[in-house]
Amino acid sequence: MKPRELLTHYGRQFGTLAGLLVLCAVLWALTPHFLTVSNLLNVAQQTAINAVIAVGLTFVIISGGIDLSVGSIVAFAGVVMATLLQRAVPVPLAILAGLGFGFGCGLANGLLISFGRLPPFIATLGMMSMARGGGLLFTDGRPVSGFDEGFRWLATGELLHVPVPVVVMLAVYAIAHFVLRLTPFGRYLFAMGGNEEAAVLSGVPVRFHKTLVYGVCGLLSALASVLLTARLNSAQPIAGINYELDAIAATVIGGTSLMGGQGSVVGTLIGALIMGVLRNGLNLLGVSSFVQQVVIGAVIILAVLLDTAFKRPKR
Amino acid sequence: MAGSFTFYPMKSLRCFLSLAACALAALPGCNRSEPAAAGSAAASGAGKPTIALVVKTLNNPFFIDMQKGAEEAAKKAGVNLIVQAADREIDVERQMQIIENLIERKVSALCIAPSGSREIVPVIVKANKAGIPVLIVDTRVDEKALAAAGGKIVTFIGSDNNDGGKLAGAFVAEKLGGKGNVAVLEGIPGHETGDARLRGFREAVAAFPGLKIVASQPANWERDQGFNVFQNILQSNPTVTALFACNDLMALGATEAIAAAGKAGKIVVVGFDAQPEAREAIKKGTMAATVAQFASRMGSTAVENAHKLLAGEKIAPFTPVAIELVK
Repeated sequence: MKPRELLTHYGRQFGTLAGLLVLCAVLWALTPHFLTVSNLLNVAQQTAINAVIAVGLTFVIISGGIDLSVGSIVAFAGVVMATLLQRAVPVPLAILAGLGFGFGCGLANGLLISFGRLPPFIATLGMMSMARGGGLLFTDGRPVSGFDEGFRWLATGELLHVPVPVVVMLAVYAIAHFVLRLTPFGRYLFAMGGNEEAAVLSGVPVRFHKTLVYGVCGLLSALASVLLTARLNSAQPIAGINYELDAIAATVIGGTSLMGGQGSVVGTLIGALIMGVLRNGLNLLGVSSFVQQVVIGAVIILAVLLDTAFKRPKR
Repeated sequence: MAGSFTFYPMKSLRCFLSLAACALAALPGCNRSEPAAAGSAAASGAGKPTIALVVKTLNNPFFIDMQKGAEEAAKKAGVNLIVQAADREIDVERQMQIIENLIERKVSALCIAPSGSREIVPVIVKANKAGIPVLIVDTRVDEKALAAAGGKIVTFIGSDNNDGGKLAGAFVAEKLGGKGNVAVLEGIPGHETGDARLRGFREAVAAFPGLKIVASQPANWERDQGFNVFQNILQSNPTVTALFACNDLMALGATEAIAAAGKAGKIVVVGFDAQPEAREAIKKGTMAATVAQFASRMGSTAVENAHKLLAGEKIAPFTPVAIELVK
């Protein structure tokens, strides 16, 4: 791409990135503890879970939908995997089962939406409650804790001095970026989100891809759940409450339009990092948790307000 | 996409400026709250040790009392104090993030009221590695999990919740004359504090063959859930004559359900924590008793112990805080 095209294409991300850099600069000026290698790795690790879920939501939102069930799928897939781990199922198998389970929950969402013609909000709202209840039933409301070192490595290990969750996050983003930009699936997501009727008329297999995108979202929620379970050394059926809201926030801060048809995973990654850096910075500064909530809310509103206010008028 | 080139740089600039403004907007908040939390008029806390107290949430009066106690002790001891908490009591992952961030900030000592007895263990290990002493307040850490992970805590400061449950059970037995149907509102399942209260209560009740626990349901420590769950219990067990709720918030929620069912004064309600509102309710007669847990003393003891520890003194591995029935 020529620089000119690059700027056109990624203009929005440059804005978000600039915001992130300014935020970092401000924190660097305010506290000596912010800009250290260990703290930056710390922020990246704390961001990983939300960031992975947010990829799935970005896909779904680009396709013109929404998924409210991600937090509950995190909990349900987590307890299923954890129970298998405790029954001495080999780690890779248990993880695959957890991922498959999340994928299945997501596919169920997708089938209800594309073939059952339910609005995504309703279908995933139902799944949100069902998966939450399912997880609680499955464990009788109790957390499933204590795994061996092999599994914990997913939270405590390092690859080339980079914590494993961060490596996982970066890999997910690299793959997601590739999928979104360079595969038919990615192009169809934009087409469906931009104008579903037009997509149908141009021969896009809309139903199939719509079902699939919710499956992918469920799969990524389950992947986040693997990271969360390893991190806490415990899978809780009450985990992941409100995670959908954090992931939606990261997605919209990153410039993905809730109307569908527009967005990027790079923006979402920066959005998730902005949220992570803000929380980290406010902790480092000793700001009260009440103020933190106000600040994070304000950032979400500002980011979207700017997006709307300065959006190029459609021709 | 072509043609939008002229616009985007502007947009980037605006995004840039706005986020900068937003970040700056956060500044007054932090400048104000740091000295305030330190409880010291001195603007610079340089040279003084900084003790962090991480509680479960600051939406619960119990932890606000704990914060106040800690602030007073910090003022007396002349140390900086940071009090932080997750937005939700059950959000142990967020609590973990807060503690990691405080480790990065290199606080001198960490006092933690864990949101999860086992889930907190990995971050205790992180603090150990960073050489920051950890004092546990209010809720015990799962000792097996801690030992398995090779983690260490300096001391546990708290009440024996088991004893508190027993006090409540004995009181209910006395009030009902040793027979009747009893309901229980539990905290979050698998949560050591609630489980210990429950064990103590069950143990005390088991001594009276005439007393029967007919319903025992979790209401996750929350007031609105206390209301709803007890309303449902009343539907299925209208003969209930006593309720033990593992905290006051759930008990207070339940008293509303009792009033709504027109059974005010007919059910003996016992809570836990002795929050001001529960004491009021006891005066009004909507609650019969509550178990006092002295949160502010826990907060002050935690800070005092941390301060002593930093001064090189030895700390006992368990610092009990008194527990008593308020009726």
